[in-house]
Amino acid sequence: MDEQTACFTGREIHSAPALSRTSFLKIRYLDSPLMVDTEYIRHLTDSHKQTDGLEVQLRRATDHAYALAHMTPVIHNGDLIAGNKTRFIRGAIPYVNYAASPFLKEMRKEEQDAQSKHSEQGMGGGIGKTISEAEQNGLRLISGKFLISKDDYEGFKDVCGYWEDKCFMEQGDRLWKNHFGKADFIVNGWEIGLYTAPHEPCPEGRLILDYETALEKGYEQIIRETEDKINAFIPENMNGASSLFFWKAAVIVLKGASGFTSNYAAEAEKLAGKENDPARKAELEQMAETCRQVPLKPPRNFREAIQAFWFTYLLGHIEGSHLGFSPGRLDMLLWPYFNHDPDITVEKAIPLFEELFVKMTQIEYIASLSWQGLGHGNLYQNLILGGVDEKGEPVNNPVSMAILQAQINMQMTQPTLSVWWDEKLDPEFLMKAAECVKTGVGYPAFFNQATYVAHELETSGLPVEIIRKHSAIGGCTEPTLQGMSHGIVQAGFINHGKLIDLVLNEGLDPLTGIRMFEAGNPQTFEEVRSYYLKMMRETVRNWQQYWNYVMIAHRNTVPLIFCSVFVKDCLGGGKGMDDGGAALNQSVTTLSSGMVNVANSLAVIKKMCFDDNVCTLDELFHAVSQNWKGYESLRKKALNVPHWGNDYDFADDMFLGLFDEYCTWVKGQNNYLGLPYDPSMLAISTPVPFGKVCNAFPDGRLKGEPLADGVSSPFPGSDICGPTAVIRSSSKIDHRKIRGGLLNLKFHPSALKGENGSKNLLALIKTYFEKPGFHVQFNVVDSRMLKDAQLNPQNYRDLVVRVAGFSAYWVEMSKALQDQVIERTEHSL
Amino acid sequence: MKGTIINIQHYAVQDGPGIRTLVFFKGCPLKCAWCCNPESQSPGSQLRYISYRCKQCMECVSACTNSGVSSEEGHMSHSFELCNECNSKICIDKCNYDAVALTGKDISSEELLASIAADISFYRNSGGGVTFSGGEPFAQHEFLVEMLQKCKALDIHTAIETCGWASEKALRKAIPYTDLFLFDLKIADPDLHLEFTRKPVGPILANLELLSSEKADIIIRFPVIAGITDSTKNLEGIAAIMYSNNLKQINLMPFHSLGTDKYEEHGMKYTLDQIKEFDPGQITAIRDFFLKQDFICEIS
Ligand code: SF4
Ligand code: SF4
Repeated sequence: MDEQTACFTGREIHSAPALSRTSFLKIRYLDSPLMVDTEYIRHLTDSHKQTDGLEVQLRRATDHAYALAHMTPVIHNGDLIAGNKTRFIRGAIPYVNYAASPFLKEMRKEEQDAQSKHSEQGMGGGIGKTISEAEQNGLRLISGKFLISKDDYEGFKDVCGYWEDKCFMEQGDRLWKNHFGKADFIVNGWEIGLYTAPHEPCPEGRLILDYETALEKGYEQIIRETEDKINAFIPENMNGASSLFFWKAAVIVLKGASGFTSNYAAEAEKLAGKENDPARKAELEQMAETCRQVPLKPPRNFREAIQAFWFTYLLGHIEGSHLGFSPGRLDMLLWPYFNHDPDITVEKAIPLFEELFVKMTQIEYIASLSWQGLGHGNLYQNLILGGVDEKGEPVNNPVSMAILQAQINMQMTQPTLSVWWDEKLDPEFLMKAAECVKTGVGYPAFFNQATYVAHELETSGLPVEIIRKHSAIGGCTEPTLQGMSHGIVQAGFINHGKLIDLVLNEGLDPLTGIRMFEAGNPQTFEEVRSYYLKMMRETVRNWQQYWNYVMIAHRNTVPLIFCSVFVKDCLGGGKGMDDGGAALNQSVTTLSSGMVNVANSLAVIKKMCFDDNVCTLDELFHAVSQNWKGYESLRKKALNVPHWGNDYDFADDMFLGLFDEYCTWVKGQNNYLGLPYDPSMLAISTPVPFGKVCNAFPDGRLKGEPLADGVSSPFPGSDICGPTAVIRSSSKIDHRKIRGGLLNLKFHPSALKGENGSKNLLALIKTYFEKPGFHVQFNVVDSRMLKDAQLNPQNYRDLVVRVAGFSAYWVEMSKALQDQVIERTEHSL
Repeated sequence: MKGTIINIQHYAVQDGPGIRTLVFFKGCPLKCAWCCNPESQSPGSQLRYISYRCKQCMECVSACTNSGVSSEEGHMSHSFELCNECNSKICIDKCNYDAVALTGKDISSEELLASIAADISFYRNSGGGVTFSGGEPFAQHEFLVEMLQKCKALDIHTAIETCGWASEKALRKAIPYTDLFLFDLKIADPDLHLEFTRKPVGPILANLELLSSEKADIIIRFPVIAGITDSTKNLEGIAAIMYSNNLKQINLMPFHSLGTDKYEEHGMKYTLDQIKEFDPGQITAIRDFFLKQDFICEIS
């Protein structure tokens, strides 16, 4: 194998940072340990101790504003863009106001997070460094991979203790555990892996703020307008009173934010005063000047526009414990500033984006171990390029090209790039996007804007112009309306694979012995299917209702104020997002993964037990319960039954039927804002931990193996008819019915070689989207190369691989996830 | 009508323009010493034994009634001549680990067409189509022509990858339905051609002349095999053939020695001892040679 791995086909596109400055920024990032910074949460806590008795929105705004204004402004060497989430290069804020118990458990040396067994984290790269550094410097290790200084640690313990009974998670638990009749089902569901772990530690995300307004008006004008509303306010009903609180909270939080950015102006000025190098001095003076202008006033040029965007983005990010908080359509946002700035060129813009992307990657998050494992430390910051504007005209412009080039050069894991595909996009732009794919970095992912517009027209009833203009991707693959959508969404997943275990065992989980349902032993194919559907429906409904309870607690402990200011039309309506103030509230989804395995299992059951009479249902169930041991020949027959993803109607229809049932059922339940839940099927890295807790399946999958990926990716290894058959199968799904879905294809570099390779790739995308598909993304790697990377991680420190909705550093991925990526059938010679 | 094929490959992008479906016909009249698809030479289906998958469970031994397989230390040993004649091939069914398989299957023209036509929208958007390869498609010329006609009826772009060994009659029948010929030229010298491929080069050159006189679209494919086809003399010979037939494009196929496992798996013998691995510089030098003479030359 060594000989083979030594001669792999290399990737076609290699590139390097545009400047030695940005190269330095990248290397510094790669060499930095992961740190926990408790500064924000300490200030927030200090304030919270003083604000008891304030109305909840005012209290939240006051505490957050206080913390913002007291955070240390840190300007690192070489930075031109000001503003960091923590004082460290790679730092995370521990949001114990959201969930204190995961930290307390660890600190009290209680048993490891009960759910950590469902997940596994990588230990290479910066993470490996973290651990060795901890030992050397007497720092403490926390949450598996973060460092914290001894002093911080002691103070942090007190902060955690303070929040133990006040935090959002605890408040939520008290509510649903006492009032929700199905509370036991949820708790047991966690225990057996039917659901992902409690996700109160990171409930928010897939949110994109209204950066357009933030830049156009500037905070000062927004504050003035809001104060006008407050002054004109006349109390006429109870809801109106709540508006008053929201507006006041908005002003408080914007003023705190202004303090945060002004501190940066002062710090830059101070550093400039001390600086001896004239070039750096000039840079710092310009930074100070910029921070005095934005975000308080509108940007006057492209540089200021980037800084204004970054401040608002960062401030939104600091407020909540987000996953999937995204920049959205940055090329569309920045184009007017680029266009009207006589001094800016694509060449000058590229290093600015390179720096911006390092800054995005430097944001880390720390939550419960299980969520860190699931998200693989990824923040899912999605930047989407291209697409069409409100009139349906293509948006690609020189900023789009600069952003693509910056990520081709840097290959940072954040932000993950996406392209809204449209027929009318400039071929030069699409070829550049294909070039980026060929670096092997795993992005951009391609999304079909027309499919989403159709979904949103039906769901929201908003005018098509608005949907076109605002459509973006929040998080890994979920489309949403930029600056208009409710962004406190349910991040947890349902494990369809576990339902197979339960159907096969009369409602009892075979691995833990926990009973979830009272069910009989199915005798016919129809019974198997209807048992599954019944269990699926109850599982979905309980999950949705549990989350509706949790959201009541969110509203009463950590309502989003700053973020609401920048979501239309919270300010106009005088209601924060938690109260349903967003223009689009139907963006709350119910996520699940593993349905492909259910469809494949049903196909096997029907064909082997009823159509061809190869064995009885009892025999099949018994073989599965034995993990197929002693039933190898039966397993071979099961694997030979056509599976989903090969364009065989038999298996594909099985999937489509289930898919319809799922969508209909999800939409039949209301979210906490009184609107139907929206179905969605992402995967992030759930296939690995979900597969780990499942017994063998009738489709031939063995116990513990990962599940199939996303809504329409075939089970690894079962897509034997090539990528076009996968696409033909996947396009049988009506993607307009769901908010987000995902199709991964992996290509050997040789399949994409040269200009023709790029053109063929684009033709493949076009063909899929004409059908119409919704999303496709590509891994351009050589599996031998990946095997080599497993053996010699030190040589692959900055290798980035597409996993599901995101890219991750190879060395920081778990072995199981690496194996899965290797196994995804290589669609090439 | 039915034909025998080895497999169908979708999203093939290196055998003609655009996104293509590649159909590998079984059976080839030439026996090139360097062949890396040896399983495509004989016309009938063959047993294949993939030793690294084998768990030596002995299921195949107990199932076989012909003593076609026995156990040797570390792997199974087949009497391939017997096995290829065996009608039951029950061992394939019995093996739970896909360690024995059949290379080559009969397929009807309707079934093959359905598989090709499934990707019509990909062809349309990429300028692609179908490529019949092999083996040698003309070894099953009736089936080939039927497939070509059927594809053209659906307006699918058609290409044939051929070693050039075909009857004039068959060739003339194929021409009207073929958009592109990918025509292999290996060795210009008649003696060496005979030595390394076991067939004379004369009839092949005659066919090339016929195609070019009929104004068929032709791209020459030239396997670069260190020590065999890369001599200056041979390059000049190939260039001369291209001149005399008024051909424009030659694509280089750098040879790799990855196919040798397949010999063993099919109970065949690899006769070349050692193929030298060439360095990339050598390939560019050969490309430059053809470019200098105003040919279009790409490396596949
Ligand atoms: S049945 Fe398959 S695995 Fe078993 S000995 Fe024969 S070839 Fe090997
Ligand atoms: S092909 Fe026939 S003869 Fe050969 S091992 Fe299999 S069953 Fe026996």
